[in-house]
Amino acid sequence: MNERTGRAVDAASFESLMKEMNITDEEIERRKDWLEFADEDVQRVRSLNALARRVQDELIELLYHHFLAFPETRGFFQDTELLEHVKAMQKEYFIRLTEGDYNREYVLDRLKIGATHARIGLDTKWYLGAYAFHIRALAERLFEEYRDDPKAALDIFLSLIKLEFLDIGLAIDTYIAQRERVIRIQQEAIRELSTPVLQVRDRLLIMPIIGVIDPHRARQLTEQLLHSIRDTRARVVVMDITGVLTVDSRIANHLIQTVEASRLMGATVIVSGLSADVAQTLVRIGVDLSKIVTVCDLQGGLEEADRIMADYGAKSQDAVAEASTP
Amino acid sequence: MPVPILKQGDVLIASVQDALTDSDLRELQNNLVDRVGRFRSRGVVIDVTVLDVMDSFAVRTLRAIAHMTRLRGAETVVAGIQPDVAFSMVRLGLTLDDVATVLDLDEGLALLRSRRDGRPGRGR
Repeated sequence: MNERTGRAVDAASFESLMKEMNITDEEIERRKDWLEFADEDVQRVRSLNALARRVQDELIELLYHHFLAFPETRGFFQDTELLEHVKAMQKEYFIRLTEGDYNREYVLDRLKIGATHARIGLDTKWYLGAYAFHIRALAERLFEEYRDDPKAALDIFLSLIKLEFLDIGLAIDTYIAQRERVIRIQQEAIRELSTPVLQVRDRLLIMPIIGVIDPHRARQLTEQLLHSIRDTRARVVVMDITGVLTVDSRIANHLIQTVEASRLMGATVIVSGLSADVAQTLVRIGVDLSKIVTVCDLQGGLEEADRIMADYGAKSQDAVAEASTP
Repeated sequence: MPVPILKQGDVLIASVQDALTDSDLRELQNNLVDRVGRFRSRGVVIDVTVLDVMDSFAVRTLRAIAHMTRLRGAETVVAGIQPDVAFSMVRLGLTLDDVATVLDLDEGLALLRSRRDGRPGRGR
């Protein structure tokens, strides 16, 4: 609920975050509809403005007293300057909450705050707790103010709840979006790291595959291999699947397709590293790998590759000799 | 646009320049099968590097050309199938099984030379 480093905030990146989270004007309206947050709610929350201004200092002090009482949250406010800055931001937010006009700009502010919290690593439990604290504290003062008209107080309170839930929803979604972004980047990195295509000798590639092959990765693996064949003019590829613990029929078929596609590009693929378990499974489920050259380990794969390359080598030496004779 | 066919020694080179219509393909087939006999060629390289799609008719025609020229004494090699084309062909089950395929024109010519010299080429 606080803004720690306004200076680090880059408007463009939040616009892109908004796009990523699919927060459009329409989406904002949908969220409000879902909460049944209507114009009358806006009016009621606005009627709180005077009260909110009156109690703001008191509420902030209480809230930060609460924050500082827990070591987990105290850690975020090491120096007093920062603490004062955060308090000021917080106060601004509490006032803004009761000023109406919950438009795109307002939503963007909420996203910024969610993103900032996610970045500094304030877990959602502390964040939600602070919201609960604010609601409780404000409610106490609200019901006291409207002592003579509890019905009106309740209505205002319920409208406030809707608004705060709107804010919470947005901020939590930002947390999730940030984490998902991190996961996506990591997945990308893992994938790139996990399927290197290595050139061992002129026109001979090795592709060690380690870990689980899901359809997406299988697809990417194939693409990478085919492009490497073109770029390095490979003739033989040893695809080593020692690190693949299980192979099902779908993966086997994908391997077959990859081998076939490589052949269309003029390269021979040798699949090495079929463990006893994998061999048994493949035969049991009835996958026909007879079109593929398979050997049991990488050494065997390289030996087989050498044989094929030697065959080619003899040919291409002839070809070179011939080309140079007029 | 018809595919130009170049004669280089005892090899014919069909160098595809643009996307192929069905009639282009038929014409290519007629021309190649005809010229293989006329020039007494021993090999044909069809260079498809520029193609970014290969439909079933094209693949069928290439196979047919390979079979027909073989009957007239010339080996056909398809050169330059691109990665994405290769993979989509395989997914569609268009694998050009009994036709030699190579990376590019150079490789195609090298393969044909080695076959002509009677080296036991790798069965493709």
